[in-house]
Amino acid sequence: MEEKYINITELNNYIKSRFDNDEFLFKVYLKGEISNFKNHTRGHLYFTLKDDNSRLSAVMFYNNAMNLNFKPEDGMNVLVEGRISCYPAQGSYQIYVEKMETDGLGNLYIEYEKLKKKLESLGLFDVSHKKPIPKFPKKIGIITASTGAAVRDIMSTIKRRFPICETILFPTLVQGDGAKENIARQIKKANEYDLDVIICGRGGGSIEDLWAFNEEVVAYAIYESKIPIISAVGHEPDFTIADYVADLRAPTPTGAAEMAVPTVLEINNLLNQYVIRLNKNIKNNVNNNFIRLRNFKNSYVLKNPLALYETKEQKLDNYIDLLNKIIDKNIKEKEHKYEILINTLKLVNPLCILEKGYSLVKKDNKLINNNDDIKVKDIIDIKLYKGNIKAEVREVYNDEQKGIN
Amino acid sequence: MEKTFEEALNELEIIVKEMESGTIELDTAIEKYTEAMKLAKFCSEKLKTATDKVNKILTEQGELKDFEIEE
Repeated sequence: MEEKYINITELNNYIKSRFDNDEFLFKVYLKGEISNFKNHTRGHLYFTLKDDNSRLSAVMFYNNAMNLNFKPEDGMNVLVEGRISCYPAQGSYQIYVEKMETDGLGNLYIEYEKLKKKLESLGLFDVSHKKPIPKFPKKIGIITASTGAAVRDIMSTIKRRFPICETILFPTLVQGDGAKENIARQIKKANEYDLDVIICGRGGGSIEDLWAFNEEVVAYAIYESKIPIISAVGHEPDFTIADYVADLRAPTPTGAAEMAVPTVLEINNLLNQYVIRLNKNIKNNVNNNFIRLRNFKNSYVLKNPLALYETKEQKLDNYIDLLNKIIDKNIKEKEHKYEILINTLKLVNPLCILEKGYSLVKKDNKLINNNDDIKVKDIIDIKLYKGNIKAEVREVYNDEQKGIN
Repeated sequence: MEKTFEEALNELEIIVKEMESGTIELDTAIEKYTEAMKLAKFCSEKLKTATDKVNKILTEQGELKDFEIEE
């Protein structure tokens, strides 16, 4: 009786061996949604895979989990590859996941992130490469589908704001097979025309719809365009790769047209500003010249031409005065010198000496200045200041001898 | 050849800046002023009389044809 009973471990091990020997369960491919996701501290991932009706436990060990190129989260749709087996300790069967990738949108998202990172590192998003958008374009290229809201929005906005601008539409597929090549080709084609700016884009849609604008070939076509490109893909807040590469990113097709052209009103305001500035400038110029002219006219000289002579006359007088003074001074100096000279002359003139009482003694018409030549009884002539005397010498003596008289 | 609107507007801008940039002889200033006013008039006339430009589409045959959007 007791032999009929086996224990739980034995049963679970038996079941596990049945799982492990089933070649269909050795490799299964499942798609489902992640729930109850747990990232164990040791790196193993535990979660449940489910669809609308059923659920399945899943484990992904660290050695496989380390190869994941995304971060699994609850609610994520995934494609998994693994084997089904039993975990005897729990009596539950589960999938041992070996590979896992995101399903659909998730996959696109990863591709997008990868390409974005790559192109960014290659410099396709560099601000330095972005070309300025001209203020007043003459000709605008539009690269979008020839039907639909986008082309209508762009063209009607341009027509409304800046009707003097020409447009050329380069029709293209904007989604589905061939869209990316078509867009890239039209960007190159548009570069053969003398356009001032290109608007490239489409209306809003799902991420798959917009996908062509996340393709590398489109990114490079935009990057290599010589004509500045405004991107207008979808509606805020979708950011495509094309938006990052473009010279300017518009939130919508209408927005792109608004960025591409000014309004007539704006230009009229600008023109008015210019005219005001011109008028002010010319008025100032004339005014300044007028003031200068008036200043000259009012100048002292022009108003009193005689003043020119007055000053000269006065100067002349001054010079004459100065000259006179110099001459006077000169004459006075000369006179003074002359007086001194005269006085000196007077002092040395013998006649002048006689005037003071001195006399000249002559003997035989020879001036005598020594008594050696004189003897008693000699007749001498004495010349006085006034008149002459003839005298007879009575005594001859020297200064130290006393005369007889 | 007649100036385009853009050329006229650019020239106008240059003259305005030139006139404001320093002292210009009166004769030159008047000349430039006259020229600038002509340009301003030309621009605003262009805007007023702007008839819608014909929009084109590049066909698959590589030809430009008139294109009208379906309203």
